[in-house]
Amino acid sequence: MNKEYIAAFSSAYLNIMPQFGVADPSQVNESECGRKIASEGVACIVGIVGDLAGNVIYSMNEEVAKKIASYMMGGMEVTEFDEITQSAISELSNMLAANTCIWLSEIGKTLDISTPTLMYGEFTVSGSYDQVCCLEMSIDGLAFYIYISLEERN
Amino acid sequence: MKDIKLVVVDDSPFSVTMISNILEESGFQVVGTANSMAEAVETVAKTKPDIVTMDITMPGGDGIECTKALHIVDPEVKVIIVSSMMDDEIIHCAKKAKIAGYVQKPVDATEITLMINRIMADEELFDELENLYYTAFKEAFTDTCNKFFKAVPEFTEEENKNDVQTSRGLSVVLGIIGKYGGRMILDMSSDTARNIATALLKQDSIPTEQMINVINEISNIVAGNACSWINKKNNLFGLRVAPPTAVYGDSITISKAELNTVTSVKAATTFGEIYMNVGFNRSEQNE
Repeated sequence: MNKEYIAAFSSAYLNIMPQFGVADPSQVNESECGRKIASEGVACIVGIVGDLAGNVIYSMNEEVAKKIASYMMGGMEVTEFDEITQSAISELSNMLAANTCIWLSEIGKTLDISTPTLMYGEFTVSGSYDQVCCLEMSIDGLAFYIYISLEERN
Repeated sequence: MKDIKLVVVDDSPFSVTMISNILEESGFQVVGTANSMAEAVETVAKTKPDIVTMDITMPGGDGIECTKALHIVDPEVKVIIVSSMMDDEIIHCAKKAKIAGYVQKPVDATEITLMINRIMADEELFDELENLYYTAFKEAFTDTCNKFFKAVPEFTEEENKNDVQTSRGLSVVLGIIGKYGGRMILDMSSDTARNIATALLKQDSIPTEQMINVINEISNIVAGNACSWINKKNNLFGLRVAPPTAVYGDSITISKAELNTVTSVKAATTFGEIYMNVGFNRSEQNE
C-alpha cells in the first residue's frame, strides 16, 4: 500500500492522542498481513469511500479501551468496559478516521467515512481486500492496532 | 414547508424583542421567550418549538449549558447560538453541544432566515430518509433473495430499538456514506452462511474464506441496490456503500450504535435466519 496513505493513519493517531493527554504516543511497528485479522477483543470498523475505498479497523483489548476512555473523559477512572467506554471508542475511531481524511486531502485524496460499528468478544475480522496493512501504535506501553484495508478507486 | 416555531432565549429583554421582531417579520412564529435557563427549559417543554435562538451568556448557566438542558427536555430541538462574540473556542464548544448554527449579534435578518430555512430543510430531508430507508433495504433484500434463490423471505420482529446485539456467528458490516452516514449489518449463523454458499456455488465443503466472499457479495448487492433506490427517490442523499467487512467467531457482541434511526428485522429464509440491521445518523457528514 502507498506509504503516504499509511502515514496519514499513523499521523492522525499521533496528532489526536496527545489532545486527550496521552504522553508520547508512537508507532511501534508496521506490517503487511493477510485479510484475516484476529481481534484483540474490541474492534471498531469505519467504512471509507471516495478516491480510496475500503475500511479501517481500530483494534485493542478491553484494558486499552478502558484506558483510552479514561483519557477521553479527563482522567476519570474507568473500571468497566461498559456502554460509555464503548461510546468513547466509537467516538475516537470517528475522530481518528476523520483526521486521517484531512491528512489525505492534503495529498489530493478526497474521502468520506461512515458511522463506526463497534464489536467486542472473540472473533476474526475479514478485511475488504486481500492485503491489509497493520500499524501497531503505542499507548502507555500498550498496543493499539490500526488495520488498513484500502484500494484506489479510479 | 410547515410553519416554523421558535423560542427566543436571551438575558436581555431588549435583545429578545429585537430578535423576536426580526423572526416574525421574516415569517416565523415566535411561540415563546425566556430570560434565564430555568425559564428556557420550561418554555421549550411547554411550547415544543422547532428551533431555539440562544444567547451565549445566560444567568444560571451559559448558552452551551442551557442547550444541554434543553436537549434533555427535547432531544430534537435545534439550537442556534446568538452571540456578540464568535471565536474558535465558542464554535468548538458549540459543536460539541450539538448546536445547529451560530449567528453574530447584531442579528442580520437575511442571515438568520437562511440559517433557519437550511436547518428545517435538513430536518425534512432526514425525515424523508427515515420514511424511505427501511422499505428500500427490505425490498432490496427480498429482491436479492428472489433473484438468487427464487424464494422470498418472511420478515418478523421488526424493531426500531438501538440495542446491543449478540451475533449469530457471522456479521457483515457495510458503512454507508453520503448526506447522512449510516451502516447496514447482516448477521447469520455460520450454518446459514454455509447453506447459502453451498446453494449458490453448487458445491460442498466450501472453505470459510469463500463462504465469506459469497455473503459479502450478497450484502454488497442488498446495500448497493437499497442505496441506489433511495438516491433515485432524492439525489440529495448521494448514498454510497463502503466495501463489506466480515466478522466471525463464537463470541461477538455488536455494540449499541451511535445512530439516530435504526430498524432491525429477522428474515426467515430457506437457509436459516438472517438478521438485518440498518441505521442512519442525523448529523451531516464531515461537520
